[in-house]
Amino acid sequence: MQRRVVITGLGVVAPNGIGKEDFWRACISGRSGIGHVTQFDASLLPTRVAGEVANFEPEALGITRQEALYTDRNTQFALAAANLALVDAGLDDALSEAERNMMGVYTGSAMASVTAGEQLWRQVTDSGTHPPRESANGTVPITLLMTHAPAAAIAAHFQLHGPCMVIATGCSAGSDAIGEAFWAIQEGQSDCMLAGGADSAISYGGFAAFCVLGAMSTRNEEPERASCPYDRRRDGFVMGEGAGVLVLEERERALERNAHIYAEIIAFVSNSNSHHMTALPPDGEPLQQLIRQAFDEAGITPAHLGYINSHGSSTPTNDSVETAAYKAVLGEHAYRIPISATKSMIGHTQGAACAIEAVVTALVLERQVIPPTINQEYPDPLCDLDYVPNVARRATIDVALTHSSGFGGVNSGLILSRADWRERQT
Amino acid sequence: MEHNTERRVVITGLGVVAANGIGKESFWRATSRGISGIKPISRHPTSELPIAVAGEVSDFVVNDYIERKLVNRTDRVTHFVLVAVQEALQDSNIVLEQENPQRVGAVIANTMGGVEYLLEQARTLYTRGPRFMSVYSAIAWLQVANAGQISIRHGIQGYCKTPVNDTASGLNALGMAYRAIRRKAADIIIAGGCEAFLYPFILFVLAHSGYAALGNDPNAYRPFDRRAAGLLAAEGAGICMLEEYEHARRRGATIYGEIVGYGQTNDAHGLMAPSSNGSQYARAIRLVMQEAQLQPQDVGYFSLDGQAIPSSDQGEAEALHMVFGNELARLPVSVPRTILGHSYAAAGALDVITALLALQHGIIPPTINCEELDPRYGLNLVQYEAHPLPAPSVLLGGRALGGTNVVLALKKE
Repeated sequence: MQRRVVITGLGVVAPNGIGKEDFWRACISGRSGIGHVTQFDASLLPTRVAGEVANFEPEALGITRQEALYTDRNTQFALAAANLALVDAGLDDALSEAERNMMGVYTGSAMASVTAGEQLWRQVTDSGTHPPRESANGTVPITLLMTHAPAAAIAAHFQLHGPCMVIATGCSAGSDAIGEAFWAIQEGQSDCMLAGGADSAISYGGFAAFCVLGAMSTRNEEPERASCPYDRRRDGFVMGEGAGVLVLEERERALERNAHIYAEIIAFVSNSNSHHMTALPPDGEPLQQLIRQAFDEAGITPAHLGYINSHGSSTPTNDSVETAAYKAVLGEHAYRIPISATKSMIGHTQGAACAIEAVVTALVLERQVIPPTINQEYPDPLCDLDYVPNVARRATIDVALTHSSGFGGVNSGLILSRADWRERQT
Repeated sequence: MEHNTERRVVITGLGVVAANGIGKESFWRATSRGISGIKPISRHPTSELPIAVAGEVSDFVVNDYIERKLVNRTDRVTHFVLVAVQEALQDSNIVLEQENPQRVGAVIANTMGGVEYLLEQARTLYTRGPRFMSVYSAIAWLQVANAGQISIRHGIQGYCKTPVNDTASGLNALGMAYRAIRRKAADIIIAGGCEAFLYPFILFVLAHSGYAALGNDPNAYRPFDRRAAGLLAAEGAGICMLEEYEHARRRGATIYGEIVGYGQTNDAHGLMAPSSNGSQYARAIRLVMQEAQLQPQDVGYFSLDGQAIPSSDQGEAEALHMVFGNELARLPVSVPRTILGHSYAAAGALDVITALLALQHGIIPPTINCEELDPRYGLNLVQYEAHPLPAPSVLLGGRALGGTNVVLALKKE
């Protein structure tokens, strides 16, 4: 029989809350984490709002002084979220070497180490105007440029000797990291994985590269209302930063140690648009395929599905294309299934997005409460499904889908079920 | 675990862009003879840089292969990989149009993205302002650009991934693709790695990292040598067409070899060069030999990581001693990347291509530059010229800053 994989720990660093409970409270009360950009001077850019993580104190979240020296903000977010997740899973106590040999780390990243890299580049080349020279303080830590640093730093911090890498599939990176970790446990390469994603790209270069694409909201006057997936006013995504890390565990092992199980992962699927670097084709065909494939893998039908945590990026095309794809695949169920977009509250946290959304989905299954999509004011006739507007609600949910459509055309999806759902099926 | 019904994964096409040859024929001619591709860096001024030589790809005219519009929207790293993919597709004789596009994938490793494109645009941003920055900045820069552009160009709609794991990324790409095909997530995957980071800022950071050899000596990459002082960086791309065995057999494809094992462990010793302790690397080698059902005498040669950092070299040698014991003295080992430089995410893929060509030709490509091999490592290093290959399997190792150890096993049918 195939090994099964459950979620036993959650760690999150998000613009509207740090730690599972803070974050959840913010989500169910519909609290936005979007504000004016403070991390760099955005006055020259058309977009000046972002989801920044406030009051992030690395040392309070278990990051050592030494680690803080050679890691950037994105890696520190990942370390903090991993720490929170392991404590939540009750795995923070001394683990044996044999256990740590079977524990690994996969994290997603979309934006590499752009913020720290940009800073270093400005320092040693004066913004590219002369060849690189010794900087004033003389240190040039290469670790700040390494996209794989978040996963490697987590492995080192917790002495985990299993598989370790970063997956950089744009906005689907978090799902891909979780999905690959799910497979690694299923296949017996590891028994436990820390999986998720992290990004922090709120820098002049990181921001400008997306501004010039015309992909970001310019609703600068009302930051907390700027990310409004499915609403008629939506005008682009809002960049966020943060990290989400989940503890995935082989089910027998989790049961044996009496771990709390949030949910079970029952399918991971992914495909590629083969269409455009930044957009789905208008009919959302790849997304339809993705959802069908996910149902096949999970052995479920639309009737089983009780909740969708959508990609809902608040760009004009994504949200209507996504809605069209739901209708095509789910038929009449499309109108029944509650859908919510976490990005309405925290913006698009890029490599962290899917991981944070997986955290939300796991909590929805555990608590049977659905956080809202906020900023639903002016309905768009093209987006006429139940997006759980503005207010959280109770519901009975056994099976949930969370999916993403990434930069570069990678779409990924995870299907999660309530911890005891499969047992109740037989 | 024994599974007789398990799907097998074979390699049916190769594509190469390397410092010592573009195309598998010229690459093999140079690599099998130890003809180095290291030369003075010519694309950027190096007079103020601590590094002046590298495995730079020369005589690469991108417009010979790719339409101008796409060239302008993509970085050099994507140019390399698109050319390598084109070659691998041709080499495999596959007609992708006849395949179900959802069963075809692309797993392309890369560590630095389109860093040259990005930094040129960043300079424009800082000196002239955002209105002058290219619309394609993000599209050309992010690591996923490579898999994304391949997917668009070749109509690939299946499993596409972008592993990033420093100098081990390329082996991760092949390993991930192997596992994906085995578990039926795809039937065909274009897998490999690419890198193009020989840009002054990156060379400067690399020079300060302590992991790269400084100066202008083209023979400075000397793993396991008494003078080992770091690697020489390189650029390029290596692509393998991975295919499910029955699929390849049905269409009468030429099979270079089979991937029979993939495993990884982590030293977890910090964001530092690969550890001097070989125990976790040894564990990865054992896991893979077990999965591949290989005995020491089955291994034709071990393609080593060879960071040329004394402590990392020591860790690698220690791992080999732990696994092979007395048999290590007769196990041929080689570091062919001394010939073409270390191209980070492309390196593992280029090592695999080298190994597949070694299996085809029955010879082991040599390691160069190691005239003062350190005897304390006790390695049977193939040096100066190719040696006959004693057995039809190859093990490949890759290690990374941050502790990852990746091992892959290849076997000729």
